[in-house]
Amino acid sequence: MAKKCVAKKRVLLVDDNSAVRSLVRQLFELEPDYEIAGEAENGQDAVEKAENLKPDLIILDLSMPVMTGLDAAPLLRKLLPDTRIILFTVQQGSEIERLARAAGIHAVVPKDQAASNLILQAQVLLASVKQEHRPAKLRNAS
Amino acid sequence: MTDQDASRSQNIKYPHWQREFEAALLEGDPQTLRQRVDAAETAIFLRSQALVGNAQGHAERQAISDAIGTLRAIQKEKLGYPDWNK
Repeated sequence: MAKKCVAKKRVLLVDDNSAVRSLVRQLFELEPDYEIAGEAENGQDAVEKAENLKPDLIILDLSMPVMTGLDAAPLLRKLLPDTRIILFTVQQGSEIERLARAAGIHAVVPKDQAASNLILQAQVLLASVKQEHRPAKLRNAS
Repeated sequence: MTDQDASRSQNIKYPHWQREFEAALLEGDPQTLRQRVDAAETAIFLRSQALVGNAQGHAERQAISDAIGTLRAIQKEKLGYPDWNK
């Protein structure tokens, strides 16, 4: 019987701290549905790399040199409107949520929450992309 | 170990990240400061993960929150990181 081939979701990791990038990479590499397409160390680097890598998901840090996550997000959204963006940050609170939403970020995951929340949020967001791309007739039926 | 170092070690309340944080605070060399801040951030990130679900960690979580604020100020004022909260 032929195996159903499901394309892995491509993830771009953006964080100025290489150790944090490495830890998040390990987390996603444990998941069979994801592959790390690339890493970037600041917002500007992310914008440059995203154009070529065309990831399905971007994990974006907030505080970074050269360009912050909040400044990079609108540029990333314009470049890749279907790509989902998660702000993965140590900062918390309603103000961050508000700023993130205004920048076009889809979800905020605090770094002090269980790392598994990041995977969970990724699954939720990527499932919503799948839903959006279904024909309207099927969407309405479900 | 100098007397000063020994005295500082005795004051370490949160050994999983406080040494790295203090090393970042005390770093005078701008070339090394970024590495120190990154090391402190990494230690805090790992400790935060370990504290998930730990009901006893309230005081440490508060100390971590304060340390994060200080690291952010160092990044902005000494390392030239742009301000995300303009």
